[in-house]
Amino acid sequence: MELLFKLPKKTQEILNLSQGEEIRYCVPYDISLDKRYGDIGYIVVTDKQLIVTEGDRIYYSSDLSRLEKIKCEPMVNSGILLIKEYDKEDESYVARFSMRHLTRVSFVAKGAERIRDKNKKPVVSREREKTCLKCGRALPGTMKCPKCDGKLVTVSKFWNLIKEYKLQLAIMMIISLSSTFFSLYLPEYQKNFVNKHLAIKSGALSDVLLFVGVMLALTVLQILIDVGKNWWFVSFGSRLSLSIRSKMYKKIQELSLSYILEKRPGELMNRVARDTGSIQRFVQECFGHMFSHMITMVGAIIIMFAMDVKMTLVSIIFLPIVFVITSIFRKSIHKRFHLQWVKSDKLNSSLQDVISGMRVVKSFGKEQAESEKFKNLNAEYAAVQSRNEVFWATLFPMVSFIMSMGIYFVIYMGGVRVLDDRMSVGALMQFQSYVWILYGPLMWMTHLPRRITEMITSMERIYDVLDEEPLIGNKPNAIKHDIQGEVEFRNVSFGYRPYEPVLQNINLKVKKGEMIGLVGASGTGKSTMINLIMRLYDVDDGELLIDGINVNDMDTGYYHSQIGVVLQENYLFAGTIYNNIKFSKPDATEEEVIRAAKMANAHDFIIKTPDGYNTYVGEHGHNLSGGERQRIAIARAILNNPRLLILDEATSSLDTESEYLIHKALERLTEGRTTFAIAHRLSTLQGADRLVVIDGHKIAEVGTHNELMEKKGIYYKLVTAQLQMQSLESASEEVKAAEVAS
Amino acid sequence: MPKKADDVFKKLADEEFNLEQMEKETEEMLRLRYINSSNAVFARTEGGFVSLKIEDEFYPRVQVYQAFPFTDPYCYISIRKSDEKAKEIGVIKDLRKDVDEDTRQMILEQIRLRYFTPIIKKINNIKDEYGFAYFDVVTDHGACRFTIHMGGNSVVHLTDTRLLITDLDGNRFEIPDVTKLSSAELKKLDLFL
Repeated sequence: MELLFKLPKKTQEILNLSQGEEIRYCVPYDISLDKRYGDIGYIVVTDKQLIVTEGDRIYYSSDLSRLEKIKCEPMVNSGILLIKEYDKEDESYVARFSMRHLTRVSFVAKGAERIRDKNKKPVVSREREKTCLKCGRALPGTMKCPKCDGKLVTVSKFWNLIKEYKLQLAIMMIISLSSTFFSLYLPEYQKNFVNKHLAIKSGALSDVLLFVGVMLALTVLQILIDVGKNWWFVSFGSRLSLSIRSKMYKKIQELSLSYILEKRPGELMNRVARDTGSIQRFVQECFGHMFSHMITMVGAIIIMFAMDVKMTLVSIIFLPIVFVITSIFRKSIHKRFHLQWVKSDKLNSSLQDVISGMRVVKSFGKEQAESEKFKNLNAEYAAVQSRNEVFWATLFPMVSFIMSMGIYFVIYMGGVRVLDDRMSVGALMQFQSYVWILYGPLMWMTHLPRRITEMITSMERIYDVLDEEPLIGNKPNAIKHDIQGEVEFRNVSFGYRPYEPVLQNINLKVKKGEMIGLVGASGTGKSTMINLIMRLYDVDDGELLIDGINVNDMDTGYYHSQIGVVLQENYLFAGTIYNNIKFSKPDATEEEVIRAAKMANAHDFIIKTPDGYNTYVGEHGHNLSGGERQRIAIARAILNNPRLLILDEATSSLDTESEYLIHKALERLTEGRTTFAIAHRLSTLQGADRLVVIDGHKIAEVGTHNELMEKKGIYYKLVTAQLQMQSLESASEEVKAAEVAS
Repeated sequence: MPKKADDVFKKLADEEFNLEQMEKETEEMLRLRYINSSNAVFARTEGGFVSLKIEDEFYPRVQVYQAFPFTDPYCYISIRKSDEKAKEIGVIKDLRKDVDEDTRQMILEQIRLRYFTPIIKKINNIKDEYGFAYFDVVTDHGACRFTIHMGGNSVVHLTDTRLLITDLDGNRFEIPDVTKLSSAELKKLDLFL
């Protein structure tokens, strides 16, 4: 995302910067104080001051050092730039902008605060622009605009993709040429036969047989060539898309989680499946035919002109009409099918909605109402669909007819010429054949621009992934460090989005073998801390040290192989339980797997299933309960004998008894291992050496259970609240029991 | 270790826990406090916001939220703290009746600051190209151009005649009544009706 726009000359002049003062960030904003929406002015951050311009004047300026707070505050569908000066009591806003600039301004606000705090690290935005800054077109989720600077690059990328097949391609070209030659030669041969034999009724049966034989042989040959060519291009297309798909898959695995999560769900899936498919289709349906079609067309036109200029012109005179008609109807066709698509989409989502919400529908007794709703949608869709089919079935034959109207004029003119003896019968037939040869590719060509654009867009989107540099990767001299277990957060700040800090200035030193319990309300950043330890994200500021070494300097793969993770929502891959446990250590023996399963209190339930460890668990492990899945995940985490153990609500779906058993097992397991555990049920964290309470993006309290209880702070409140809940529950149970007894 | 902790837990449960405190907090959560000119005083701040003095509380800056921004913009205006948690201070039940004219203007200003949904007055052109539609319109905030996704939920029908259009960046535009558009404009909008 662009954070340093070029200022117009006039604005530059009014800034009046001092000698050596440099503009570090400069972004436009688009809502004026009187709520005009448009290009209003710029927010400029230099190494000394913050300046907001409005038209040709400076609306606000201040030395950065005078500002206590510079913040982008999101509103509903807009945002404001909020500042607080040290010598004033109130906050105020100095610029207002639409969503187009919200992210941009939030980066700049953060950058300005960094400059003020003498932090040299500049903010770099990896967010993408939504529209091309040059041409204003929407970008298909890519960095580069396929229209502005993508085209040539894309063509060269396409060439790079196919260049290893260039010899085969050349052979295919020559073969297609020969097929073109045959198709152009056939009418010529036919003419000779007609003129020599049929028109003057001379010659024997053998001549006819020979003619039929040659025609047949040439046609069969041509068909064979076409079949071979098609076969080759189809397999070429599949090979190509196979190689792109596997390249993309590999790349996606390497890319950091943030890249994957910031994409809309399904978008990457689309890129791997649909975009490679569209390249494949292009290669199979267009690329292979493009050249032979073009050569056929050019060849046919040259021969036709050579034969008779007027008749050639007449034969193509209806083409412009066809083009005009199709372009008139294109919009309407597009509209009709878009509408059909919208209706089918609505139908599908309503179906999905009701089926997934069936429990609610049934429990509120709303079956009838839902059926009615669906019936209406269904009827609407059916109406649109049948209207479109009728339209299509009418339009298409009409267009084909108009297109072939030329042929009647050709026959008329040619007929007159034959009668006048200016043309032979054979030549007329030959000419007519060329007209038909010409029409095919011409019709085909009308679709070409659209196909090429689709291909370029898909290429862009594919290369956008392939060219992406993983944010978290190994440095050249990455260290393969054997973790001892010391973890230190040093002034760590982090946020998933620039305008929403999640952790601020976290300092925490964890000794080897310590068990740390992370406590706090939902959304305070406990899981974020764990994400940072797992190195799924890089810290924005500060350092995360493992045994005194910055995690960024470590070999990521080697680091991850020493961490065991159990999450709240545990994903089991499609496969057997055995393979799922073995995921963390593929070379584990059966005994190791069983030991891990025993430790996770999973062995018994696994053995009880009919297929034991070979039980297949589906895409989400649907035939297992939440607690069972969690236990398998625990087994998976401990199998690898990790040096760092991370438990994020690891036992939340278990009943109290299993939880107790696992905790007993984990107690043994966590001995000597640095462990981070998050739990809402605070009793789960009783075994922790220290508890860290996170509140308001910061560490609020650190200490043992007893220390924190004495402190009577946040932790004390949490514990008492939970105890109260429990005692209320048990009290009401007692009352119930008493009622039953009496 | 667990044993010791258990003791503490028990002790707490027995004597120290303040049930009244909890009840009070729950009460507060459930309470719907109405704000009107008799119990509250709003004032403009230098920075462009409003402050609120209500009973014996003072808030240097409050935020103003609409509960029904589309269907009932003047009723149930929630006044909230300006910090991140934005706890509710109270609710103005009807902005047209419950506060004086000056306060009403102040609150409306804040609403206009928080909500930005230009109303489309005129459609100059809509061009669609490769899955995106490019709008060129005149709104009550001036002329503007924006781009939407053809697929998905870019155009939402709030009612049969009222449209809400969301562009690529997440800005929203409203057409309050499509029947008031000219037939030429309607034709351009055809694809989305």
